[in-house]
Amino acid sequence: MTSPLLTVSSLKTYFFTPRGLIKAIGGIDFSIAAGRTLALVGESGCGKSMTALSILRLVPEPGRIVDGKIVFSGEDLLRLPTTEMRRIRGNQIGMIFQEPMTSLNPVFTVKRQIGEVLELHRGLHGPEQEEEAAALLHQVGIPDPRNRLASYPHQLSGGMRQRVMIAMALAGHPQLLIADEPTTALDVTIQAQILELLSELRRSRGMAMLLISHDLGVVAETADAVAIMYAGLIMEAADVEILFNDPRHPYTRGLLACIPRLGEARQRLVPIPGQVTDSRENSDGCPFAPRCNEVMEQCRHHLPPLREVAPQHQVRCWKAL
Amino acid sequence: MNPLLSVQNLTKTFAAPQGPLGGKEQRFRAVDNISFDLAAGETLGLVGESGCGKSTTGRLILRLLDADSGAVFFHGEDLVPMGKKALRPRRRQMQMIFQDPFSSLNPRCKIGDIVAEPLLIHGLATPATARGLVTELLATVGLNSDILDRYPHEFSGGQRQRIGIARALAVKPELIIADEPVSALDLSIQAQVINLLDDIQQQFGLTYLFISHDLSVVEHLCTRVAVMYLGRIVEIAPALELYRAPFHPYTEALLQAVPRPIPGRQHKRILLQGEIPSPLAPPSGCHFHPRCLYARPMCRELSPALSEHDPGRFAACHFAGEFSRNRA
Repeated sequence: MTSPLLTVSSLKTYFFTPRGLIKAIGGIDFSIAAGRTLALVGESGCGKSMTALSILRLVPEPGRIVDGKIVFSGEDLLRLPTTEMRRIRGNQIGMIFQEPMTSLNPVFTVKRQIGEVLELHRGLHGPEQEEEAAALLHQVGIPDPRNRLASYPHQLSGGMRQRVMIAMALAGHPQLLIADEPTTALDVTIQAQILELLSELRRSRGMAMLLISHDLGVVAETADAVAIMYAGLIMEAADVEILFNDPRHPYTRGLLACIPRLGEARQRLVPIPGQVTDSRENSDGCPFAPRCNEVMEQCRHHLPPLREVAPQHQVRCWKAL
Repeated sequence: MNPLLSVQNLTKTFAAPQGPLGGKEQRFRAVDNISFDLAAGETLGLVGESGCGKSTTGRLILRLLDADSGAVFFHGEDLVPMGKKALRPRRRQMQMIFQDPFSSLNPRCKIGDIVAEPLLIHGLATPATARGLVTELLATVGLNSDILDRYPHEFSGGQRQRIGIARALAVKPELIIADEPVSALDLSIQAQVINLLDDIQQQFGLTYLFISHDLSVVEHLCTRVAVMYLGRIVEIAPALELYRAPFHPYTEALLQAVPRPIPGRQHKRILLQGEIPSPLAPPSGCHFHPRCLYARPMCRELSPALSEHDPGRFAACHFAGEFSRNRA
């Protein structure tokens, strides 16, 4: 077996706020093989977006990566000098975010913004650059790409902006695409188009993807493997089929039970009780214990390790064996 | 039986935002001649993509916006021409629950005061009796009375939405217009609030107009569903039937676009081409024809009326009957 494209081990990202220490990521491990898609799933504040920012080394103040390794193509990204990191970002690792309007610069044309990436990462200039920019827009399904190059972001619809973002992310020929809620701000028919585009691009370019999402439908249709996060920790990780068909962690089971599903006989939803715990509240136990319907005494005092319960299936729960 | 709410030919136009140089004012129809009834005790889902006019419809009914033309009959009385004073007692019977629990509660007010305010405004309580009633309301939505003196920022999204619901319930309304009430909430909290909406409907015999873009949530909560596209209702039908066999090609495409939480299910999907056209220049004839898989020449010319194809099942499509027969 070849080594994975990306391996994250014991990653810890903490925020040192005036009001105390927040363990946004409390020690997580996962890997992504070339060409595969891993989805990080969880609710707001679970650390999924911070994981993406940690990989890119873009953790905002007062946050800091305090421990761990992020090995990409054999190099530990955390040990690279900033200039090297800048080369990898946007070149070997592309990224797209939820709200394209805030990640595109409103005062520059599409041509200028894609051109900048092409110049920086591939050294393209002049007509060559324009040619390639138009080709990229065409690849992401933007009609009339030549004329679109002259547009400003506000002249584009949400779906078109997201396509421009994807074109920019692809400009450097990345081996890994990090997509943080790429379709959350879009309407459902446009979401379907963008998801189709992403999987088509992955197939044709053999690109791996780290997909960050809270939408279990999007995840089921897009990912090869899934990691469920809660309070900065991975609670369960498995191939997508195993995770949806044989969930072992009470939190995963709870999430799958509490969503209304299209075409299913109407029955009362089974919610997960309580609120997401504040990761500031330090306890030695399992962070999900206060909301867990299968909680045992030891869960409140000892954090269970992430253990392999079956091949390709890891669970962080004292009950799962 | 008379419906509780009857919306007839409701239309609202807005001026498009203009550039710095002004120019000729352009108006577009956010809500374009829509009609529907809502019976007491039922839940009607109003679905569609952003900009389709579903939220504007909700606001027009509550007279938070004034309609250009059309009527909104509530208990048989038209609210559209009513003056402020005449509206006030009717407003008590209709309440709204908003999407964003972070912007709909005044951050400077204590929870107790937020929930008591409508009681005092409508003269349903005195400052002395309000506290007891508020405690009761909070208990109804699953909150403790020890939060009375706390402020909104101390609560999570789900708790704030419960507070918003308690405030809406305070005046004992008959009709609740809920505009994306669970869209901003985390998954595990969404289910709690959906169940709560279900419970209070049973308990107080409420009628809901449930505005949402989430077709799974709408299927779960609604008895009937109306689908909007570019300001018009394109289909309205009992929820079960609409989800099982939609009559309008747009409804079909919407349903197919929803990603399902079932891995490996490479379901056949008709991917809708293109994007929603600008409401400033809506397509001729049927607004949906440029994206419709089944469009024929006449769709470009003639705008189809919303007509009944099966009992209780309305669709605005020239070929609705044919379309559904072919699929069956």
